[in-house]
Amino acid sequence: MIGLVIVSHSAKLAEGVHELAAQMAGDQVGISQAGGPSDGPEALGTDAFKILSAINEVWCEDGVLLLMDVGSSVMSAEIALEMLPERQRQKCLLSNAPLVEGAIVAALHASLGEPLQSVNAVAEAALSAPKLANSA
Amino acid sequence: METHSSQTFPQKESLQRNEQREEPGANSISRAQPPESKPAPSNHSHQPSKSVVVTITNPRGLHLRSGRDVVRIASQFQARITASNLSRNSKPVDLKSILQLVQLQARQGHKLQLAASGPDADAAIEALRSQF
Repeated sequence: MIGLVIVSHSAKLAEGVHELAAQMAGDQVGISQAGGPSDGPEALGTDAFKILSAINEVWCEDGVLLLMDVGSSVMSAEIALEMLPERQRQKCLLSNAPLVEGAIVAALHASLGEPLQSVNAVAEAALSAPKLANSA
Repeated sequence: METHSSQTFPQKESLQRNEQREEPGANSISRAQPPESKPAPSNHSHQPSKSVVVTITNPRGLHLRSGRDVVRIASQFQARITASNLSRNSKPVDLKSILQLVQLQARQGHKLQLAASGPDADAAIEALRSQF
């Protein structure tokens, strides 16, 4: 079963998305979060080392899917992957999915035991999923 | 609860076998259907199919958590399973997709038409009808 990492500029947002994802996954899926910068005066930001340790927290051979909010979340996640040993890096995937919808979908499908690529595909499909019934 | 049922005879599963002849990576991706609201396939009359109308009884409607359980159950079946919200006149959505399921915007009292087609359509409907 794959692991999930939630990356956000905001520690609170990462925590909240984690909470939602955990609700969908039950307790079978490893989910970790990397929200906010390391230390310093800034309240918002991302930190590659936090992301790296979040990956290691949920690391498993089936792979790890990273879900990011926007902008430097993606860059920090890329840097975190570069710091991983090659063998682990090959099993990590950055998702193009929107953070909230993607986390909900990915958590549920991860809990169904689906493989990394497949979980990412359903999560990324959330990009085009309308929210309102009448806009479908 | 009113019930409409329809049933046809099973056909050989040659079509499905063909669909699974892809390289390993592509196969797992293709299992994950993107959330396009496709109605049941047009050849479904050759597959066993079953349909039933259920009423939402939960005062909070069909919410994310109960939706999760529906998707979990639906995913155990091979059949294509859809639901449409008769009370909103909505198009059928794939019940194996949580984001499509929540698009039903189903409140207490709404009527949903569940439809399954595939070898285990009957069992799928039986397992799902009590979840609403």
